[in-house]
Amino acid sequence: MSAVVGRGIALPAVHADAAERRTMLAFLVWGFSALLIGAAIGPLQALNYGGIDAYPYLHPVLQTYYQGLTVHGVLNGYIFTFFITCGLLVYLPARELGLSPNMALWRLCLGTMAVGTLMLLYAMFDNSSSVLWTFYPPLKGSAFFYLGLTLVVVGSLLPLPIVLDLRARWKALRPGALTPLVTYMSAATMLMWLLAAIGAGIELVVQLDPWALGLTDTVDPMIGRTLFWWTGHPIVYFWLMPAYVSWYALLPKQAGGKLVSDPMARLTFALLLVFSLPVGSHHQYDDPGISPIWKGILAALTLSVALPSLITAFTLGLSLEYAGRLRGGRGWIGWFTALPWRNASVAAQVLAMLTFIFGGAGGIVNGSWQLDNLVHNTTWIPGHFHITVGTATAMTFMGVAFWMLPHLTGRAPFSPRLALASVWLWFVGMSVFALGMHWSGLHGVPRRAWVSYLPHSVYERVYGAAHLPLLLVAAGGVILWLATIAFYIVFAGSLFGRRLATPVAIPFAQAFGGKESYAIDDTEPAGVVADPHLSPLAKLLDHLGVLTLFTACVTLAAYIPIFWPFITHMTAAQGWKVW
Amino acid sequence: MSDSAAPPGFEEAFHQAAERHERVWVFIAIVLLSLLMAGTLFFVVLDYGVVVQTDGYRADPASVATTPPFADAALVRTGPNAYAVHMLAHLWTWTPSPLHVPQGAAITFYVTSSDVLHGFEVQGTTINVTAVPGIVGSVTYTFAHPGTYYIICNEFCGIEHQAMIGRIIVDPARPA
Ligand code: HEM
Ligand SMILES: [Cu+2]
Repeated sequence: MSAVVGRGIALPAVHADAAERRTMLAFLVWGFSALLIGAAIGPLQALNYGGIDAYPYLHPVLQTYYQGLTVHGVLNGYIFTFFITCGLLVYLPARELGLSPNMALWRLCLGTMAVGTLMLLYAMFDNSSSVLWTFYPPLKGSAFFYLGLTLVVVGSLLPLPIVLDLRARWKALRPGALTPLVTYMSAATMLMWLLAAIGAGIELVVQLDPWALGLTDTVDPMIGRTLFWWTGHPIVYFWLMPAYVSWYALLPKQAGGKLVSDPMARLTFALLLVFSLPVGSHHQYDDPGISPIWKGILAALTLSVALPSLITAFTLGLSLEYAGRLRGGRGWIGWFTALPWRNASVAAQVLAMLTFIFGGAGGIVNGSWQLDNLVHNTTWIPGHFHITVGTATAMTFMGVAFWMLPHLTGRAPFSPRLALASVWLWFVGMSVFALGMHWSGLHGVPRRAWVSYLPHSVYERVYGAAHLPLLLVAAGGVILWLATIAFYIVFAGSLFGRRLATPVAIPFAQAFGGKESYAIDDTEPAGVVADPHLSPLAKLLDHLGVLTLFTACVTLAAYIPIFWPFITHMTAAQGWKVW
Repeated sequence: MSDSAAPPGFEEAFHQAAERHERVWVFIAIVLLSLLMAGTLFFVVLDYGVVVQTDGYRADPASVATTPPFADAALVRTGPNAYAVHMLAHLWTWTPSPLHVPQGAAITFYVTSSDVLHGFEVQGTTINVTAVPGIVGSVTYTFAHPGTYYIICNEFCGIEHQAMIGRIIVDPARPA
């Protein structure tokens, strides 16, 4: 079967067998179900900042603001993103290579994370573990919470062996060929996550699981917190890189063009792998115990993470420009308006990218310490990450769902117009919300605070100056409720639509100078040697093992001096359940 | 999702232009980031005023509440125009609060917690210190203007977290 017949008609390039499609669908449904609960709660938090306290009406489902916030952070930050990512980063490489993934491992991944999620839900909804998604000790939740989270983390690592195995099998069939792009990006992401997960993994397994089970009495808060941020910083790249996979490898095709530079995509992922790991403690600029000199070095290093993002902005911008010009767009801006804006999947992702530009600029503020002092732990911070993970990632995943559901189920998508409406509502809602959050943060409004529960006079006295921005926060939240409703009508409707006559293909983009297909189950003979166009840079970057080892060494070097004073001055803190 | 037809030669020309611009862009990005990095380091070296310093560890965090210098702490004079105070965060208050400090003097805050994490944020200033059980951190700050400043706990500490608001009253300096 050929990948693309003639010009203009794309036939399904790849065949996933039914079991693979069902499993991928299960990952999508789990992930988006988590987001459904999380996104239903989010606007309540926005209203809280606007001074409206909805929580007295939510008994007994939610007893306090902080219980709801724990559910929101855990489900959106961990469960939603992990399920979608662990699905995509196996399914897409498998289809790109035309090979079947190790289904037993992939199902184990799904099952482990599902059991972990149920344990977390139990621990959160009985209000025994309202410790927020950062679960800083010595706040002490129930053992179900920590053990559930441990399972989720372990499960989220299982795609790594699956992808490496796919890559090895493909390479055995095509000696000398470079890893195809989607597989490369997926493997780099999972390798990054392996190193990243070590921090929270140790915190959970060594400190918190035994403590919550009653095997140990006390815990060292600072060691826990530092281990958390070992993971907590690179996790943002675990949120972002899967979105980048779609932006680089699928979106150009969906927009009607090509990816202009395959080596730059690889460079971006390699840089993200290296740079995201060692700088986690920049979340601790305001913590005692870490040497100021070391914080200075981290502040400088942190900025280097902007390089891959700047490359991305360029390469993706050009790829979209190419698509727009092919579609007849002229002039400075014409190519942009000529993009297929009626396609909700494209619109979602292009708007996600636009939003991310602002996210990146805000990130430079947070990263630069002096400025961070002004905004640390104010509403500025959630304002920032709702336009990064909450929009760039979430909206990209929504955009992926728009084509992927029909692809997986063979059913017609439900109301493309409503899908488009949900995308625009999310974009507008998040913009208004994030503007308000950033702005009120500059007035020193703290994050994670049930401010609407304060006596009105206190709220007015302390936060009155932030009245207008806090109103924007609330208004954005209400728009986001509408966006959420619209999206989930489309999502559910697409699961039960009428059957399509022709299957929907995965929109794998071709790169300039790249090939139509790398699939082994394609008609192309196996054993084709490396593409002549591939640059020396791409060849160099194919040594993912070396890159990972290098990153591991740099990370250790960065963390040993940070941990040293804590290990030599241990604190024995008892647990507190104070919510 | 249909591919549009490229006019002959268009892809090739676009590709070449793209590669040229790509090199320029990467160059600009690297220069820009290097400048930012240098600038950041410069500020770090120059401006230690708002930077959290470390002033000791306690194996038993709960004991700080009952032993000096945190028990019954008050503002103490440490120099001609310098003062210090030991600020204890505990569920769910700041001690001492309200705290009177003089305008225009360098005030050093030693901050710790006797229970869970708290956050010592003084609204409208750059003061931002995590109150960690078992570790004492410090910052020095000079209030240029008189008035009431709120200490806002900005690290989640349980059910009354939002109400953990203290006050610093900056008394006007006597006219010289
Ligand atoms: C439906 C739209 C959403 C709204 C209105 C919303 C609103 C909020 C608000 C107001 C906060 C701050 C609460 C506080 O600091 O007290 C928050 C926190 C958070 N949100 Fe959202 N959110 C939404 C969607 C999302 C999405 C899509 C994600 C991630 C994929 C996300 C992840 C988080 C996380 C991780 C936190 C931090 C929780 C914490 O501080 O413990 N949110 N959200
Ligand atoms: Cu507190």
